[in-house]
Amino acid sequence: MAYSFDFTAVAQYHTQLAVGVGYTLMLTALGAVLGVTLGTLGAVVRAWRIRPFAQLFGLYVELIRNTPFIVQLFFIFFGLPALGLRLGEWQAAIIAVVINLGAYSTEIIRAGIQAIPRGQIEAAGSLAMTRTQIFRHVVLQPALQKVWPALSSQIVIVMLGTSVCSQIAAEELTFAANFIQSRNFRAFETYIVVALIYLALSVGVRALLNQIGQRFVVKRRPA
Amino acid sequence: MLLRIDGLHKHFGANHVLKGIDLRIDEGQVVAIIGRSGSGKSTLLRSINGLETFDDGLIEVDGERLYAGQTDLRALRQKVGMVFQQFNLFPHLSAGQNVMLAPQVVKKTPVAECETIARAMLAKVGLAEKFDAYPDQLSGGQQQRVAIARALAMQPKVLLCDEITSALDPELVNEVLAVVKQLASEGMTLIMVTHEMRFAREVGDKLVFMYQGRVHESGHPKDLFASPQTPELQNFIGAIN
Repeated sequence: MAYSFDFTAVAQYHTQLAVGVGYTLMLTALGAVLGVTLGTLGAVVRAWRIRPFAQLFGLYVELIRNTPFIVQLFFIFFGLPALGLRLGEWQAAIIAVVINLGAYSTEIIRAGIQAIPRGQIEAAGSLAMTRTQIFRHVVLQPALQKVWPALSSQIVIVMLGTSVCSQIAAEELTFAANFIQSRNFRAFETYIVVALIYLALSVGVRALLNQIGQRFVVKRRPA
Repeated sequence: MLLRIDGLHKHFGANHVLKGIDLRIDEGQVVAIIGRSGSGKSTLLRSINGLETFDDGLIEVDGERLYAGQTDLRALRQKVGMVFQQFNLFPHLSAGQNVMLAPQVVKKTPVAECETIARAMLAKVGLAEKFDAYPDQLSGGQQQRVAIARALAMQPKVLLCDEITSALDPELVNEVLAVVKQLASEGMTLIMVTHEMRFAREVGDKLVFMYQGRVHESGHPKDLFASPQTPELQNFIGAIN
């Protein structure tokens, strides 16, 4: 069977695609910054067993890591209104992404913190540094350095996962794809194009994260 | 008297590792603690700056008291510096930054002044030119000297050395011991857990032999090495010679 490709049918929707890319990136960027911040907090609390937050974060991590992202998203968007908490699709999407990445990055960063040799923490303690000072000056940077590749991968996974947000009508890239193929009836071409865009975004985001890693995490502080 | 330890007891679970340690150390003394592994010597040393908690007794350094179960150790730790077997430099900071960090963060000394202190301390351990080098660019002996400089930058009243040459290649041991010897001659109070018996005999003012969680015998190193009073110390000296 000969199939004749018609990519112009997709190209004419470039505005929708561009908007979709914009939203996907925004969701990823916001999710990454807030999610990793949440994860760092969780990692400290878990690694240093600060009660009762360590247990709470443990529960949270298990809850998120053992349920599908789409269920988490639907719970926030469709479930919470029952409690009177009505969120727009963007608010729901961002909250879901932050909560999801927060849980995974808690465990990733915790691994980094626990990989710091105990002796370095003892040495800092013997210099009369407080726990907070030790964390800030001795633990955080080497810990992030150790887990940066894993953290970068997780952020890319989360970016691809934002496609699920199309299901609550957040107008990100997959939403745009669904919309376009319902208009032009060219599902094959549309999803080829969108898949390639996702591929390019993943490569780009990973490269950007590598740069950030080189610059701020691995780089040694100037004397 | 600079340091006083009274009736120090410590358990690790059912294991009674320190069974009532009493110790007096004067300012400027160089004290070597020796004994078999498991005799409690490292635990004793680590207790003095709060890295190990203890169950009963009292430690007092320069008027700063530490009781069993005390959690705020900062005042004591400002008076007690420590150097470790594994150096424990901060790998993401240069030698200079390693030395500067505590004065900057703990004492809130202005950065410029911290740098002056750090350069002076590195010069003291013979590493003035290594200010910008990172730990992984330094030999073990150099790393240990940076660790000594880092402890000295806080101007401690006493410096604890926990087997500081044990992780070093034999040819690097002397450069570290030379620094310690120089500190001793400048009047620094030193307490070292060590296997360097010759060094203990040469430089030490006091030798403490630990055996099964107690101070079994103590006195001037020359006397103790020449005529050990207990069979355990005789054995120990015999075993290492």
